[in-house]
Amino acid sequence: MSIREAQASAPSAARRRGLSPRMGDWTVRLGSIAVVLLVWEFLAPSWNPLIIRPPSAIAVAFVELVESGELQTALLTSLRAFVGGFIIAVVIGVFLGVVTGRWRTAFNAFDPLVSALYSVPSVALIPIIGFMFKYQGDAPRVAAVALFCVFPVLINTQQGVRNVDRGLLEVARAFNTSERRLWTDVILPSATPFVLAGIRLAIGRGLIGMIVAEFLIGLVGLGYLIIQYGNVFRMDRAFVPVITVAAMGIVFMGLIQWLEGRVAPWLRREQ
Amino acid sequence: MATPIRISVEHVTKRFAAGAVTVFEDLDLAVRDGEALCILGPSGCGKTTLLRCMHGLAEIDAGRIVIDGVEVRAPSRKVAMVFQHFGLMPWKRVRENVAYGLELARIPRATIDERVEHYIEMVGLRGFERAYPYALSGGMQQRVGLARALAVEPDVLLMDEPFGSLDALTREVLQNELLRIYQERPRTMVFITHSIEEAIALGDRVVVLSSRPARVREVISVDIERPRTMASVIAHDRFVDLRDRCSRLVLDRPAA
Ligand SMILES: Nc1ncnc2c1ncn2[C@@H]1O[C@H](COP(=O)(O)OP(=O)(O)O)[C@@H](O)[C@H]1O
Ligand SMILES: [Mg+2]
Repeated sequence: MSIREAQASAPSAARRRGLSPRMGDWTVRLGSIAVVLLVWEFLAPSWNPLIIRPPSAIAVAFVELVESGELQTALLTSLRAFVGGFIIAVVIGVFLGVVTGRWRTAFNAFDPLVSALYSVPSVALIPIIGFMFKYQGDAPRVAAVALFCVFPVLINTQQGVRNVDRGLLEVARAFNTSERRLWTDVILPSATPFVLAGIRLAIGRGLIGMIVAEFLIGLVGLGYLIIQYGNVFRMDRAFVPVITVAAMGIVFMGLIQWLEGRVAPWLRREQ
Repeated sequence: MATPIRISVEHVTKRFAAGAVTVFEDLDLAVRDGEALCILGPSGCGKTTLLRCMHGLAEIDAGRIVIDGVEVRAPSRKVAMVFQHFGLMPWKRVRENVAYGLELARIPRATIDERVEHYIEMVGLRGFERAYPYALSGGMQQRVGLARALAVEPDVLLMDEPFGSLDALTREVLQNELLRIYQERPRTMVFITHSIEEAIALGDRVVVLSSRPARVREVISVDIERPRTMASVIAHDRFVDLRDRCSRLVLDRPAA
């Protein structure tokens, strides 16, 4: 095989190798969900219907909530808070992470504050956030999501910036890099996988923040739907927003995965 | 001696750990214009450190290092380095890695493209321009490292055990390629190695260092004509004698 043929076939072979196990993965994943749903469906009637309803009843409730428009309204409200808070957290987290990761003075200035805020359970701050934003509109819930999301992004970014391969820093110096090029060629790309890992953690935490804020501050969105139907023992309906939140998590994780392939294609080797 | 001196290392001392570790002391060394000088020494004797000092990547504690009449203080664009650990940016494709030094030197884009293509061809990486380093074997990665250094067309090429981490077969292929590249257009080159065979085959002269603190034990002229290949060097009448001299020096044994 000539060098050129090797190059032409190498990426497609890698892609094929990447794809076929993933198909297998999906069969197992979907299969296991199907098994759980089946067992649930057949065991549910033997439990108290006030506590557990079968998946089929939840499916019916889902259609009802969509037809009445309640689910869409709640989802939109939740999404606004989640996306807003998430974006704010990523911007602040990456910025502070880069600054504190690179400059010792900045680290010393921010670390006590960050450590203090990080060690308080974020949930405990939600009522305070509600009060601070006068319980008005999306703002308190956006802030709550941002609070939940910001620390994993900040801390991961900080680690990423600090963990730059010293060998590569020396290469950059040997080729007479400017400070600006050092950032764009070495520090930022090398921190990217850390930042993305932080963002992935932030998605999970942000959804928690979103729901808790809806419980405690807004009485709107998917969180409120859960409470509303839980209080009247409509477990079939209460489950619908729960599943919707789970779906949000999956969609956002997928989005980040896709983004990773775009901004950091060199990481594809892990597949 | 007719050939001018390109690099001179004069009474150089280098210490680490706040002076507790002396890597070398009062070291003297001269690299002639256009020659391939191999520095041979046991592992840990300070070869990498010496090369880093020559490139201004590490400060020296006494003495001075002069390249083309200018004392070395920081990395110069006239000098390029090939690293033992390859030092490729995993997020850059082959051609971006090769273009790296040229971009930093603010060379016009058209010239960069031309040179990148030329040196990729020279190191035998045609067709791999768009590959990421992870998709390349060690030998191919170091070809990229070599192309990146050659692309800036340096006056001096510093090479720190560039083939040290490669398997024996790949190493020989790359040694031969380097011989070919050097022989097509000789340029001042300092090549560090702990392989006696490699030092003799690639070098016009071989500097043998002692273990730490490193001193120059001897400078051996390799009187084997070019063009050479690894095979032609090893088959040469002079090879066994040169190898024995080097190995006695490296192993610290007096001549028999
Ligand atoms: N940055 C450093 N800080 C402290 N000690 C170092 C540093 N770099 C190298 N050394 C020490 O200097 C000695 C020589 O190292 P090095 O130049 O890498 O040797 P070689 O390349 O010949 O194997 C070793 O003992 C090593 O531990
Ligand atoms: Mg070394």
